[in-house]
Amino acid sequence: MKLGMVIDLDRCIGCRTCMVVCKSHNAQPPGTWWNRVFTPGSPEHQVPALQKGEPQMYFLPVACQMCENPPCQKVCPVGATYTDDQGRVEVDLERCIGCRYCLAACPYQVRQFNWEDPKKAKGKAGYVEGYEYGYPFPHRDKNGRLVYIPNRPKGVVEKCTFCVQYTDNGEKPICVQACPARARFFGDLDDPHSEINEILRQRQAFRLKEELGTRPKVFYLPPTSPRK
Amino acid sequence: MHRKNLALILGFFLFLVSLSAWAYQLKAGLIITHMRNPFSWGLYIATFAFFVGIAAGGLIVSSAVYLFNIAALKPFTRVASLSAFASILAAAIIILPDLGRVDKIYLLLLHPNFRSPLIWDVLVVSSYIVLTFLSVYFQLLPDWKREGRSFLNRWTQRLSPEEVEKISITWSRRIAFVGLPIAILIHTITALIFATQVSRGWWYTTILPADFISVAVASGAALCLLIALSSMGEEGFSRYGPAFAILARIAGCALVVHLFLVATDLVIHWWWANPDELELLSLLFRRYGVLYALEMVLTVFSMVYFLSSRGTTSLRTLLVGSLILLVAVFIHRLNLLFPAFNHFPLSLAVPGAANELWSYPVALGEFRPGEPTFVSSWPYVPSLGEIFVDLLPFALAIIICSWMISSYSILPSIRKGKDRTLSSSSTHSLDF
Ligand code: SF4
Ligand code: SF4
Repeated sequence: MKLGMVIDLDRCIGCRTCMVVCKSHNAQPPGTWWNRVFTPGSPEHQVPALQKGEPQMYFLPVACQMCENPPCQKVCPVGATYTDDQGRVEVDLERCIGCRYCLAACPYQVRQFNWEDPKKAKGKAGYVEGYEYGYPFPHRDKNGRLVYIPNRPKGVVEKCTFCVQYTDNGEKPICVQACPARARFFGDLDDPHSEINEILRQRQAFRLKEELGTRPKVFYLPPTSPRK
Repeated sequence: MHRKNLALILGFFLFLVSLSAWAYQLKAGLIITHMRNPFSWGLYIATFAFFVGIAAGGLIVSSAVYLFNIAALKPFTRVASLSAFASILAAAIIILPDLGRVDKIYLLLLHPNFRSPLIWDVLVVSSYIVLTFLSVYFQLLPDWKREGRSFLNRWTQRLSPEEVEKISITWSRRIAFVGLPIAILIHTITALIFATQVSRGWWYTTILPADFISVAVASGAALCLLIALSSMGEEGFSRYGPAFAILARIAGCALVVHLFLVATDLVIHWWWANPDELELLSLLFRRYGVLYALEMVLTVFSMVYFLSSRGTTSLRTLLVGSLILLVAVFIHRLNLLFPAFNHFPLSLAVPGAANELWSYPVALGEFRPGEPTFVSSWPYVPSLGEIFVDLLPFALAIIICSWMISSYSILPSIRKGKDRTLSSSSTHSLDF
């Protein structure tokens, strides 16, 4: 099994729902975002950029690309970053020593470091007293490695896990579930009959920074008619 | 003597300051530094690279004595080995505060990932610590025997002083031979930590390991000069002037190689005029232009100074030249990071847009009310706390050097020559 994702940029409306659900379901502390949606070429999201004299825009969601040749995993001195048997690149939160080599190595800059204690950061952000968010239980992989916990220890790295706590139960990542434009597809790249393989056969797809040879398992369908 | 005590006190003072800053950082997290997600390595890593540089240089000097038989430099092998030992320990120690989970550092031994250049570096740096320690140890062994010290040398009790002397000579020579390749290796591998990363255009170049070596030879020689001159003073200069001049020449020549490599690298970055490369150059020459200009001016100055007879004529000129060279190398290390991190790897070409190269914004990892969380560049400047923590390796190196110099005969004999008989003391340090 090799889990992958397809994002249809023609359908994406840049609403950032996936950013918000990702952040809240995965209990990311203030200032930390595993998933980002921006308007390429524009300094502000949802503001068209001038292209060949015409204002145009499209939106590009970026989270971990789940590389098949992942530099983050290769540089990790302690093997905290690893690819599991379903092709998901995960971070063992108990193994990471916080050297941040992976932050320098990842070409997509999706890795986020816990510069301070997440609980403290949440406290400072001024949420209503007692407000907690995120999937509340720790989650371990088959081998007992801790890949999710609502409040990560300070000093470790985190990133998109393909919602390991959901996908382990056969559910889809929360960004796929919540996208109101149905721009995201998720499934098994090893299964020739899966929905995503069907799409990849029918439509021209590209991957980000293909020239680096990281071989992402996240594919994009290019925008055919950019919004104006 | 007095001066050395002063250095020791200064060392301990800096050590305490940095330890307290580190304790604070352990409690609050790396948030007290100005590193953030888009700029995730800073002053600590630059300092690490700086100390690795001067560490290898020290052993390169003492090995050169044996390999190329530069007799004039022989009296300096001890101080060169000591500076190598002190700097490699300093390099190792500054990695600790950079780790988010220093309490889990043992995982490096339990679960090493041999694909990671960081593990290669752990291996060579630890071998180098052992090697430089042994190098200092074997060179001091005959003295310890003579003075009847029993620190780590019980095994020599049954041997005669002549036998110990012989062991010292053979082993010092052996270590020097193994030391040279390992000294070169710690550079190559430290450079590979950076040079393997295709995502960072500024690092991704084969020139980097060679350049690290040339910078190491230059800064290592400068450090030997600095330590020897500042502790031996005028007297030492008048006695070993020619040897000091050789060290200065070595540093100057290494800088020529360094500048040559830098220049070819810049031409290659510029020639194709690929927007990514031009962005790097604009960071280097515009945004960080002042810092880069300072680096270049200081480097060229110390090179010319050391290669002309001007820089080697007096104690003062040699000291000034070495200090300038070390400052230049430190800035060079900082400049390893600025263009690397502030040119975001996820930059997209947007055809026809005003902004041809658009950097995908990155979340800082810190929420600052009223200020953006997503940035396209991060104006990293070390925080005060970070600077205090960064004193740690400097303090350690000062403590080790001043303590060793005041307790053992590390330096070529000048003062001791007065009370001991000159011939015996100078022969033992000259002829091992
Ligand atoms: S996108 Fe970055 S973090 Fe994700 S697998 Fe690739 S290199 Fe690793
Ligand atoms: S920060 Fe953690 S996950 Fe990243 S390379 Fe270092 S140990 Fe591995």
